[in-house]
Amino acid sequence: MMQLERLLAVLHDASVEFIVVGGVAARAHGSSRLTDDIDISYSRTPENLARLVSALAPLEPYLRGAPKGLPFDWSVATLQAGLNFTLTTTVGAIDLLGEITGGGHYSDLLPHTLTITIFGRDVQLLDLPWLIHVKRAGGRPKDLEVIAELEILQEEIRLESDAAD
Amino acid sequence: MYDILEFQRLVREARFRSGLTQRELAERSGTSQPAIASLERGDGNPTIETLARCAAASGFALRMTLEPLPVRDPVVERYKRDVDRTLLRENLRRSVDERLRTLSEWQIAGDALQRATTLAKRTAARARSRPS
Repeated sequence: MMQLERLLAVLHDASVEFIVVGGVAARAHGSSRLTDDIDISYSRTPENLARLVSALAPLEPYLRGAPKGLPFDWSVATLQAGLNFTLTTTVGAIDLLGEITGGGHYSDLLPHTLTITIFGRDVQLLDLPWLIHVKRAGGRPKDLEVIAELEILQEEIRLESDAAD
Repeated sequence: MYDILEFQRLVREARFRSGLTQRELAERSGTSQPAIASLERGDGNPTIETLARCAAASGFALRMTLEPLPVRDPVVERYKRDVDRTLLRENLRRSVDERLRTLSEWQIAGDALQRATTLAKRTAARARSRPS
């Protein structure tokens, strides 16, 4: 089971530059869908990679779905050699996304984020229009239902905001 | 966030949020009260400069941003009919922390259900393999 609060705390407290995207971001916006992992877009500056490596190291990150016992070196060099990583940790599954289809890199997504407080910590969250945009750009058939829900959610937020005027 | 064609709502919200009357906003932005009333009705085609001046006079900066255009996909539109709006409204009434805590609660319940199902399958398999 994903211990979301712990994962976010670990990343935040190590000053990792990241944006919550995917199912957890959708849930934070108000989606009713469930998810088993947290997806984050992360900055790939050498300093941030070092922070990310030392933050997650105690949680024993390992390649999700890979057979046990494979040599996996959790290091800055490994992160530099790849881009997107699907990992398990002792507190749950996390996807580290260096690039997102239709959204680009961390710095491309940053202007489309909100700073929200989750469990007492300020976290960057991809905003709803861009969450829908990247889901569309991803082109995965399984996301069509998600897009439908997020667009209805957007309508509901607009209706609430109009009612509050 | 407002659509560029909904400038009247933007001007009205900026004024309401700063607690100004139309007359006060007019004075601060160097125009007349009827001109502000006209803007808030959505009349005409104000320049960006006019909108920025009204926003600034209300204590706000007018910023522009690019948003992806809504795309109508027939499959998505069909799925929309099945979206339960009551669940979304319930979630919107909750704080962000509550929304995420219920996610964790559902995961705990899901894990317990999965364990129970696995155990039940094993028990059934064992029972089947026992000689009768």
